[in-house]
Amino acid sequence: MRKYLRLHRIFIAQDLKKLMEYKVDFLLGAIGFVLVQAVKVLTLGIMFAAIPALTYKEGGVVVDSWTFNEVLFIYGFSLIPKGIDHLLFDNLWGMGYWVVAKGDFDKYLTRPVNSWFYVLTEKFCVDAFGDLFVGVVLVLYSVLSMPAEIAADINWLRLIPVALVMPFAIMIYTSVKTGTAAISFWTKRSGHITHMCYMTNEFASYPTKIYNRFIKTFITYILPFALTAYYPAIYILRGESVWSLGVTVGVSVILFLLSQLIWKLGVKAYESAGS
Amino acid sequence: MTKIRKYAPFTRAGIMESVTYRANFLFFLLGEIMKCFVMFFVWKAVFQSSSQETLYGFSYDNMVVYLFISFLSGYITYSDGSYAIGKEILDGSVVMRMIKPIDFDMCFLFQELGNKIISFSLIFLPITAGVEIYRFVINGRLMLQLPMLFLFLLSMVLAYGINFYFNLSYGFLAFFLKNLWGTDIIKGAVVDFLSGATVPLAFMGAFGQVLQFLPFASLSYTPVMIYMGMYDLPHILFYLGLQIFWLVIFALISKLVLRLAMKRLVVHGG
Amino acid sequence: MYNNSMIHVENLQKHFKKAIKEPGLKGSIKALFKPKYDIVKAVDGISFDVEAGEVIGFIGPNGAGKSTVIKMLTGILTPSEGFCRINGHIPTESRKEYVKEIGVVFGQRTQLWWDLALRETYMVLKEIYDINDEDYKKRMAFLNEVLDLEDFITSPVRTLSLGQRMRADIAAALLHNPKVLFLDEPTVGLDVVVKDNIRKAIERINKESGTTVILTTHDLEDIELLCKRIVMIDKGKKVFDGELSKLRSLYGQMRELSFELTKAEDMEKLTYAEEFNFADDDLKVEAKGTDVKVRFNTDTASVEEMLSFTLSKVHVKDISVKDADIEEIIRRLYKGGGSAL
Repeated sequence: MRKYLRLHRIFIAQDLKKLMEYKVDFLLGAIGFVLVQAVKVLTLGIMFAAIPALTYKEGGVVVDSWTFNEVLFIYGFSLIPKGIDHLLFDNLWGMGYWVVAKGDFDKYLTRPVNSWFYVLTEKFCVDAFGDLFVGVVLVLYSVLSMPAEIAADINWLRLIPVALVMPFAIMIYTSVKTGTAAISFWTKRSGHITHMCYMTNEFASYPTKIYNRFIKTFITYILPFALTAYYPAIYILRGESVWSLGVTVGVSVILFLLSQLIWKLGVKAYESAGS
Repeated sequence: MTKIRKYAPFTRAGIMESVTYRANFLFFLLGEIMKCFVMFFVWKAVFQSSSQETLYGFSYDNMVVYLFISFLSGYITYSDGSYAIGKEILDGSVVMRMIKPIDFDMCFLFQELGNKIISFSLIFLPITAGVEIYRFVINGRLMLQLPMLFLFLLSMVLAYGINFYFNLSYGFLAFFLKNLWGTDIIKGAVVDFLSGATVPLAFMGAFGQVLQFLPFASLSYTPVMIYMGMYDLPHILFYLGLQIFWLVIFALISKLVLRLAMKRLVVHGG
Repeated sequence: MYNNSMIHVENLQKHFKKAIKEPGLKGSIKALFKPKYDIVKAVDGISFDVEAGEVIGFIGPNGAGKSTVIKMLTGILTPSEGFCRINGHIPTESRKEYVKEIGVVFGQRTQLWWDLALRETYMVLKEIYDINDEDYKKRMAFLNEVLDLEDFITSPVRTLSLGQRMRADIAAALLHNPKVLFLDEPTVGLDVVVKDNIRKAIERINKESGTTVILTTHDLEDIELLCKRIVMIDKGKKVFDGELSKLRSLYGQMRELSFELTKAEDMEKLTYAEEFNFADDDLKVEAKGTDVKVRFNTDTASVEEMLSFTLSKVHVKDISVKDADIEEIIRRLYKGGGSAL
């Protein structure tokens, strides 16, 4: 394990050096990601200009409601595990788009290192700083500008369990990418399947209660991105959904094992390219 | 006519390409349409949270139609010339295009048309049918009128043209910025917002009023509003005219930028 | 029976499933709902053994299955049937331990990190292979001497020339002092001088480190200069396995007669085909101005007969006879589909 961490550090250092070399590219990429998020936040702002708070009703009765600050907090929080996965493990995207199809996966198999880990850590994606930056800014801003009566509900001790669960939340992203990327071992290309599954995370950035039962179940247990965003965020804000922390650990371990299994079987089925 | 025939192979290539990668296309589409469904639920909650039936002239049902039709028109009028051309400029292969006795921009246009034929035939019917069934169930009658459909299609064609030349001009920026990935994301985010693809311009107050006259609105907002029947005939004619105006402007700009870029290419020896 | 050789390959097979696509739109739709597959046996029952320290030339025409065999030997592909055992390891079963003992170079694509300076690439490999500082220093010094890396060791890999990159790639594959080195087309696309340097380096590494080398190539000079033994495969099957000289004696009744004419017009008088009744494959005459090369099969006409016929008809300068090169032999062998063996 120490060897793996050392290797990862070397690759990160290399990519940071590259960053200095391609400053403009990095800056434009990061600005791009910031702008994408800014547009979404602006959209939220425009929506909230028309309403006092986002409420969810069932049969005309208000079940739950969230102020603008709370929604911003949830949104900003969702970007943090997503951004960390993006920062550290972005290289998996390449698998389904070209690595397997072009036979470039060969090189990962001729080294005495776990092939999955090798792919995972080979690239350090600095663009992700855009996402992370927006996420942290939104979380801080939403808390600082929060009306006192809402802020009073926040118990900062809750950050401890959330921090402990965070690696599992990140692992949800990584496992979804791993499992879908590994499909390419059979189909040559699977980048679009990864894209489709990954996009489900868009649901996770808003209060999960506003969705219908099917989507709610889907984003809590199947592609459980809600566990990376709404649930931990609302737990910090209100102490609600403590159960979700346990579910996060359980579901993410299952997903991880499943994705590893697909990967292992995939490597056996790998056909390389050319003759 | 013979001039156009020269470009037919490009269209055919575009069609073949789309057919070959149709599975990828469908998965990609499903991923993208997910965003519509997210906004569908978010808007539902927003309308539920309001004491009024309509917000800035939009009812919830309008909003649903707006979401899906703007997705549809955004998808069909999308042009990725900026990326394709930028890439060729950066790796120098653009020279190969320039030495052929055909118009450089026309190759791209006709190849992309091939792609568009396939994506149009795959997604237009399902989405409009879905939207119309939704409206039929809500209103108890068919909402879409044939003339409107025709004007919508016309407006989409114009929007595609503007998009095409806008992206062509933008693609030449690669010459000066030497970057594609970042600038493309930036462009996407800005255009999405200013064209009303994320929120209807009507929600943006005075700022939105101004935006309606800018070329961005012509890219997405105009066709969608026509489809929804939000404009009366004089307005429709006015906005179609505006679209034509922007189309001409961007066609001219792209020619100008192309000339500048060529000069630079010659100076730098490609 | 347990076998002590460095590489033991037994009935190795690899089958690929290939989708059959009928032409036209109808075919595409059919394929979408009811895909049909064909089983292609890219490697169809190959067995051989390699002793430690040998240099083996692994040859065959395009699409013969060479690369597929190499990829199975290196643990990249899992065999469909049969197995290979290298230094006691089954590659796909204990991949991580196994690959520490081998080095792999694919001529067509680099395994170096495109953006890293070459030296840093080696630092990464040092970590990956757990090489200690002392071994690393010694090994680097040796590789530096053999492959001349000094000039470009601080440059990023993407700026290296093809020849430099190949040397860098070979060094990368040897850094951990592997027992077996797999070289897939190591001289492809290189100029003559660079090719020569690389061959010399391979030879030295084999001699000094005792590294077993498996070499696939299209360049028959590689084989003539490096390999005592060759394994030839065609259509997934082994068609020849033995010493180069044995291949020569089996198929190499070919000799090459070369001389210079005093007058180019004399060429017309040299009617070898009519005189000795050569079959098409058994005679090849090349004339460039006054330089003439005649390749012929000694089964049909002996060297002596050919010489005396030539000298009786024309005036020549500088006549010489030598063994035909292996290219000719292999061309003939491929033509026969190896059925003679």
